Amino acid sequence: MADPILPGTLDLLILKSVSLGRLHGYGVLLRIEQISGGALLIQQGALYPALYRLEHQGLIESEWGTSDNNRRAKFYRLTSPGRKRLGEETASWNRLAQAMARSLATTPQEV
Amino acid sequence: MSLRSRFRSLWSGLRSRRFVEQDMIDEFAAHVELRAADLVRQGMTPDEAMRLARLEFGSPEQFRDEGRAARGLRHVDEIRFSWLDFKLGFRMLAKYPVLTLVAGFALSFAIWVGAGAFEVVYQVVNPTVPLPDGERLVTLRNWDVAANNDDPRALRDFADWKKQLKTVEEVGAWRRVDRNLVLADGRAEPVRHVEMSASGFRLARTPALLGRTLIESDEAPDAPDVLVIGHDVWQARFGADSGVIGRRVRLGGTAVEIVGVMPEGFAFPVAHNAWRPFRMDPLDHARREGPPISVFARLVEGSRLKDARLEIALLGQRIAIESPETHEHLRPQVVPYAQSDLPTLASLALLSSNLLLVLLVLLVSANVALLMFARAATREGEIVIRSALGASRRRVVIQLFSEALVLGALAAAAGLAAASAGIRWGLRMVQGELGDLPFWFDSTLSAPTLAYTVVLTLLVAAMTGILPAMKVTRDLAGRLKEASAGGGGVRFGGIWTVIIVAQVAVTVVFPSVAFFVGRDVVKIEEYDLGLDPTEFVTFGLQMDRVEADSSNDAFLARFSRASATLEERLMALPGVRGVTVANRVPRLYHGWNQVEVDGGVVPQDSSRGHRVSSANVDLDYFDVLGTPLLAGRVFHSGDRDADSRSVIVNQPFVDMVFGGRNAIGRRIRYVAREPYNGVDVVLRAQPSLNRLPSPDGPWYDVVGVARDLGTVSGYGRAGIYHPIARGLQYPVSFFVRTAGRPDAMIAEIRSVAATVDPTFRVYRPMTLEDVVNDDLDFYNFWLTLLRAVSAMALLLSLAGIYAVTSYAVSRRTREIGVRVALGASPLQIITAILRRPLLQVCVGIVIGTILTGGLSGAIGIDAVRQRGAVSMLVSVGVVMLYGVVMLGVCLLACIVPTRRALSIQPTDALRAD
Repeated sequence: MADPILPGTLDLLILKSVSLGRLHGYGVLLRIEQISGGALLIQQGALYPALYRLEHQGLIESEWGTSDNNRRAKFYRLTSPGRKRLGEETASWNRLAQAMARSLATTPQEV
Repeated sequence: MSLRSRFRSLWSGLRSRRFVEQDMIDEFAAHVELRAADLVRQGMTPDEAMRLARLEFGSPEQFRDEGRAARGLRHVDEIRFSWLDFKLGFRMLAKYPVLTLVAGFALSFAIWVGAGAFEVVYQVVNPTVPLPDGERLVTLRNWDVAANNDDPRALRDFADWKKQLKTVEEVGAWRRVDRNLVLADGRAEPVRHVEMSASGFRLARTPALLGRTLIESDEAPDAPDVLVIGHDVWQARFGADSGVIGRRVRLGGTAVEIVGVMPEGFAFPVAHNAWRPFRMDPLDHARREGPPISVFARLVEGSRLKDARLEIALLGQRIAIESPETHEHLRPQVVPYAQSDLPTLASLALLSSNLLLVLLVLLVSANVALLMFARAATREGEIVIRSALGASRRRVVIQLFSEALVLGALAAAAGLAAASAGIRWGLRMVQGELGDLPFWFDSTLSAPTLAYTVVLTLLVAAMTGILPAMKVTRDLAGRLKEASAGGGGVRFGGIWTVIIVAQVAVTVVFPSVAFFVGRDVVKIEEYDLGLDPTEFVTFGLQMDRVEADSSNDAFLARFSRASATLEERLMALPGVRGVTVANRVPRLYHGWNQVEVDGGVVPQDSSRGHRVSSANVDLDYFDVLGTPLLAGRVFHSGDRDADSRSVIVNQPFVDMVFGGRNAIGRRIRYVAREPYNGVDVVLRAQPSLNRLPSPDGPWYDVVGVARDLGTVSGYGRAGIYHPIARGLQYPVSFFVRTAGRPDAMIAEIRSVAATVDPTFRVYRPMTLEDVVNDDLDFYNFWLTLLRAVSAMALLLSLAGIYAVTSYAVSRRTREIGVRVALGASPLQIITAILRRPLLQVCVGIVIGTILTGGLSGAIGIDAVRQRGAVSMLVSVGVVMLYGVVMLGVCLLACIVPTRRALSIQPTDALRAD
């Protein structure tokens, strides 16, 4: 059973996905499913406002191209400000996750 | 994230809404199809796969809206005008007709002034030539860097430029030669005649209306003398006769054949209406010699102004090396044809003067905003309900903005039409005063002016729509809870108080200025010269210079002899009672100089001397005018001697300089004029005589006192008459006193002048009365303008005060009801209502009075500046009186609201809550 993703993490996931290679919207969805091992669930259409927001911010850029099965599709690619942002966000996420993990692993003896 | 990418994505979203949306729809469709294809691969039927894919995707409409919001387009999307808004705007105009009229009138006036002034400034600063390829026409000239001016003696250089320059074509020259056009029947009138290279017509790309234009072969020395005439000459002198081609006329002393008529409006090179071939041979003159000429050309297709500048500069260097004695300081230049001669700084200053008018537009808009606000406030209930039904604040503001836009657009249309008419009128006025303007000034409004008007209209709509709307929609949610009929939450703040005070101040200033200018006009109208101006015909006399005039002195001698003959011949005409000559025309501007009196008093307003005008008149001037001297003697022939120092002064001079005491035998002399705006004016006292050896001239003896004969100088009427020095004075004005109908005399004067000397040119022959009327027209133009501004300011003040008072009453209905219920007297109620508007008006009047005092000093209104303490008191009195009138007007504006307040019944007021 997949979990709905935490608010605010979708942007990070999208940046990560497109950092691995040029992807169309559906491809981003599949890639997130793939890299999370099917653990994260995204409502399909909800992906697009996030993509447009990132593009508006200049973190990704898009162009129309042809998909593997010869369908016309719009492909997204990470920009260099996007790459920088991905680095920052990843570091910040890792810090938070470690802190959370540490906090949650605390036993009564450690208090 | 980069600002640039945000801007780019916002811009693309704004630029093409449909394109962006289609992009999203396509992308969503691609997603669904890709997903469906996957599902088919997993074993579903295509239909089932498609259905599931759509289901999984969710609502495309929702994501599309979210997508637009993510691109930063939400704010833009909310600004959506509907036709309904505009329809409502029109309906509002009809529903409040008085407001529509007042506000519409005020706004069109503001836009009229704003757009009209912009057009004039734009034409002056950035003239464009209204001819095909006009932007490629250029002037070639020699600039003297030592003297910092243009040296027009460029005949030899013209030949070099024409032969050697490759970046320009159709190089041609012209020179203005004033001549009479004399018809076969002897009728002679001056035309604005120019000798011009045939290439000028090719440059202008304008074919002749009848016959032909000038061609190259006309320029051969032995070619027949031909003439092309302008449309206005054809109409006025030949009655638009289509058989005019081939007719022989004389131009000055030369017989010419008319070969063409140009179409209406054609006045190339500047403001001309008769063209003859340019036949001067450049090789006849050495460099930097010969008559002054102007040179025009067109940039060759593909070459730019800077190419031509470079080429002519190189050529100029070569010539300067060959002829250093004449061309060391000359730099040939290529400049755009109608380039303004204003320095850049002056152009900027002129352009920025528009900012002042923008302020005027804003001030008017602020007033209209006040009215709109009062209207919006009465619609508070409607607005609150709209808001309760879900309209956002932005939506309500947009609605009120659209209403203001409707009003603004209608006003702009009216204002533009008025601006076009006003410029036509103004051009006529200026042409009457200054002579013909270059052909590139016209009354059609240029595209930049239209664009400027659109901006002004948006500004006006923003001010009169958004500003009141923002105020009236503030804290809508709060007011939803406490909405009540009599106690709405909208209040007039300090900014409105400032607007009203400023308004009243302006209302005081303009009518006061108009009053004083009007008094000047009345003074001119009622100026009693002690003679009947309809009996006199006056005209300016000039003469063609011909080859026989070997020197300037020879020319003046010939002019003097011929004009004396003309005087005799005119005297001999039946119905002529006298002829005399002067260098000035009574009641027209005379110019001024400063004088001091031997042993006399120093004037109050200047340490240098009294400001007086002067005129040179013939010995029989006062006899012919029929105005005997009040004291002393008239001039006699001995006064013409070079060492004679006799002058006659007029009665205002005696009053001003001698305090009304005996002037005969006193001595006066000209002194150096005081610096004007910091620049010491070079002394040219006693114009044209040039007998003054030092900054302070010789002493003159006053031998007579004349009555006031209209020596107007801008500094009162004090004037000095010198005996005219025949043989030195050029040009002169003639005065012919007639017994019969003076207008019949005009044609006769022209033909007599033509027979005495065909090189005479008679300018503006008209009765003395018409001369003054012409002058009055110009004054009246300004007066009308001032009166319009005054009326507008008054109207706006009235409207503003009415709006504020009326609104205050409606807002205080409940309070007034309670006061009445508690036993307040009507007087107390009136005081409560009127206190604020009255205070505002009083402050406004005081500021306005101070401003008027300052302004009248600055713009030089005679009455205020010159006439001493009594006149100053009168002026202050006038302004104060006007202030009282304004107070009355304010009370008038308050009457309706006050009556409404007094009729409020406590029970009604409280029930309304």
